[in-house]
Amino acid sequence: MGMNRRHFLGLMGALTATPLLPARADAAESKQLLHLFGDLPPPSQVQRVLAAGAPAGVLVYTLAPETLLGWPMSMQGEKSRVVPEAYRNLPYLGRLAGRGSTMPLEKLLALKPDVIIDVGTVDDTYLSAAKRVHQQTGIPYLLVDGSLEDSPQQLQDVGQLLGVPDRAAKLATYAEKTLGVIDTMPANRPSVYLARGPKGLETGLPGSINTEVIALAGGRNAVQVESGGNLAQVSLEQLLHWQPDMIVTQSAGFFELAQSAAAWQHLPAIKNRQCYLLPEAPFGWLDGPPSVNRLVGINWLANKLQNPGSRRSDTKLWADKAADFYQLFYGTRPGIDIFAGQTVRL
Amino acid sequence: MRMKPADRRFHWSFLILFLMVVVIAALAIGQYTLAPSAVLKALLAPAIALPDTSSDAGIVIWNLRLPRIAAGLLVGAALAAAGTAYQGMFRNPLVSPDILGVSAGAGLGASLAILLGLSLPFVQGLAFAGGLIAVGTVYWVSGLVRRHDPILVLVLSGVAVGTLFGAGISLIKVLADPSVQLPSITFWLLGGLNGASREDLMLALPLVLAGLVPMILLRWHVNLLALADEEAAALGVDVHKLRRILIVAATLMTAAAVSIAGIVGWVGLVIPHVARLIAGSEFSRLLPTSILLGAGFLVIADTLARSVASIELPLGILTALVGAPAFIWLLARTGRSG
Amino acid sequence: MSILQTRDLAIGYHGQALGTVINLAIHPGEVVSLLGPNGSGKTTLFRTLLGVLPPVSGQVLAGGRSLQQWPQRKLANLLGYVPQAHTGLFAFTVEDVVLMGRTARLKRFGAPSARDRHIAQAMLERMGAGHLAKRRFTEISGGQRQLALIARALAQEVSLLIMDEPTASLDFGNQLKTLDAIEQLRNEGLSVLISTHQPEHALTISDRIALIRDGELKAIGPAQETVTPASLATLYDVAEHMVAGCFSNAF
Repeated sequence: MGMNRRHFLGLMGALTATPLLPARADAAESKQLLHLFGDLPPPSQVQRVLAAGAPAGVLVYTLAPETLLGWPMSMQGEKSRVVPEAYRNLPYLGRLAGRGSTMPLEKLLALKPDVIIDVGTVDDTYLSAAKRVHQQTGIPYLLVDGSLEDSPQQLQDVGQLLGVPDRAAKLATYAEKTLGVIDTMPANRPSVYLARGPKGLETGLPGSINTEVIALAGGRNAVQVESGGNLAQVSLEQLLHWQPDMIVTQSAGFFELAQSAAAWQHLPAIKNRQCYLLPEAPFGWLDGPPSVNRLVGINWLANKLQNPGSRRSDTKLWADKAADFYQLFYGTRPGIDIFAGQTVRL
Repeated sequence: MRMKPADRRFHWSFLILFLMVVVIAALAIGQYTLAPSAVLKALLAPAIALPDTSSDAGIVIWNLRLPRIAAGLLVGAALAAAGTAYQGMFRNPLVSPDILGVSAGAGLGASLAILLGLSLPFVQGLAFAGGLIAVGTVYWVSGLVRRHDPILVLVLSGVAVGTLFGAGISLIKVLADPSVQLPSITFWLLGGLNGASREDLMLALPLVLAGLVPMILLRWHVNLLALADEEAAALGVDVHKLRRILIVAATLMTAAAVSIAGIVGWVGLVIPHVARLIAGSEFSRLLPTSILLGAGFLVIADTLARSVASIELPLGILTALVGAPAFIWLLARTGRSG
Repeated sequence: MSILQTRDLAIGYHGQALGTVINLAIHPGEVVSLLGPNGSGKTTLFRTLLGVLPPVSGQVLAGGRSLQQWPQRKLANLLGYVPQAHTGLFAFTVEDVVLMGRTARLKRFGAPSARDRHIAQAMLERMGAGHLAKRRFTEISGGQRQLALIARALAQEVSLLIMDEPTASLDFGNQLKTLDAIEQLRNEGLSVLISTHQPEHALTISDRIALIRDGELKAIGPAQETVTPASLATLYDVAEHMVAGCFSNAF
């Protein structure tokens, strides 16, 4: 199925626009991640970039924050504290996603972007929506395909187009190194449950975009369901059956519940204090949005899975490592207090 | 067509037997495979000692399945009772507990709490408050309009306020983070008992009982609301006061049920109808029949929700999936014999 | 002393009076009929007399006290209302419908007792409808429903029955049965106030007849004196010879 779609996408690209292939030696063997509608200006002239959705917002922000016209998602409160002031106050523009758009096309025109960039798993619906926006506005529209595994190449490709190849190379190296940790994982992989929602009973199924972090960090998704799909609800009874070794969450509400509610205390992960609340500022470590922000999550989780015993001393070390990631990707080095509320639980 | 006393005794014992079978089956079925003997042993353990929550079977039965089944019984009973009261009060068999906007209000409250990233008690609290606020608004709005049939005005205000709150839910869905918050909101709006715990029960039970007590006390007087207002008044009933009491009672029950289970449709509409086919229209017989049927039906639906697929199916989908065909079958059957 | 009396009563909706004041008294054991064209205010007057609609001005007195001061339950022990036979939406049994007449006699949070059931059955039998007790109210005929509704008012044990067009939409036989039932009630000492569109019915059963038009009481007095071809012609806006012709043909 994947083959078919890729093939079809390639065809679409060829028919509707000039597929843009960055001049790279290994272009032939790398996947084609970029789909472009319209003609891009030369990299030096790309000054104004509109991110169509949250994942693109993160990608563009990490590569060339000065080109970002605004945030496609709300960056208020806790989240914005981590972002340098210059970017904290960028306007909230809304997203561009076909019928799910919250940004009016006229506002888009008024912003006069040099290019619109969207990141995510590209399907025909997205392609046709992007094509339509390009036809209506004349603004070049770049779709970046791929999952978290493709992030080194995503970073490099988009970096080229934005005229920041050196920075892109640095970030891509970090990404590649992070993605390499999985090779060092032992065969007997601990199982990890991703708890979402206020009850903690929403989760990502194996193979879903929501649990890419678990898979790439070398964990095994605790959810034992064969059927495809992304998010689903499960019950405590199932969790008791699956016996996850570790529970990770970004929901502070659930984290509290897991500590206090009697029914959760029977899970070994809770009993053994292997339930972790991960930061979501400025972007989530596990998810929300699904973009390169998750690299730090992979790093953390791989380390946790390999050294399950260490706890206290880990925290300080991890605050440093996370700060390195924040420095490199977000251009800010938060103090340990930025993880306040989280540090204890890391 | 009313039943003879012997028939009536049969009717009650049949309903109670039905409920017992449902509960026992629900205890034995689940994703965590337990042999019937293990279920029995875990159930009987407290007769010998304290509930044995050290073994897995004990945990599954006492901490997971029993609270969940109890929550199902409570939610089903509450929705069915509220639906029965509303159908009598609005003189319309197509009325459900949502008629005055309680679900829309609860949905808005819960969505808002999820959007703000609040924890579960706040999600439940705001859902409960939202339900009360919606119905309060409807009642207030209907009081502003004087020159029309009060029932019609109530229903129309309910539709208007429900739409308004529904628009609020949609707006929150647009604003919500599509990868994190939106799925939570969607799941909540589809209903489910997968998180049901003893804590939930302790919160909802007193509220449901508080709503049930006036219904039981006024079990005979509620019948007279089926008459025209002046007819009921001439028979000595303070129609407006009675209606107000029932609205408060039904709202309390529905809001409490919805706050722990999310939006579970169809129960409050269909169960009273089925109960009326069994027990007739007289409220003091109809109410307990409806409660027993509603409780059993919801436990059946929830048992299916947690066991037919490898993931949890949303309860609201199951109640519709099981309820609608059963309802059509009943309608067709009674149509033929009547 | 009269059971129900109006004192300078103006009826109407939302504070807007219909016509001028009405002074009317119903005495124990008499049948009073109310005749008037469509839209003359009969229903409005009934609603006011039942205390459902507040008077625009003036008073309705029952037992010397204004109706507005009567608690609903107490009033229901004095005044009974028999609406036009309706089908109702829910399938109550006839027994349940008659039992509703006992509501004002129950404890505040009570339900009918065996004694109440006994009374309900007795009243149904008095109306010659005892065999209907277990039938569904929605499934019996219009005439039977009318009898059941009268039985309900009787079960209420009131002094005055207010009946809204009790013979409307009934066939000839049921009309006669209903009129007969009303006579019987009068003989037992009950007062009855009925509205009707059939002067001949009014003449058959009434002690007194009231003519009402445009919210005004045009005349009230002994039946034969009040209803004449001339008064009916004026009341219903038709030529006198048409009324006279109709009467001579009918009787």
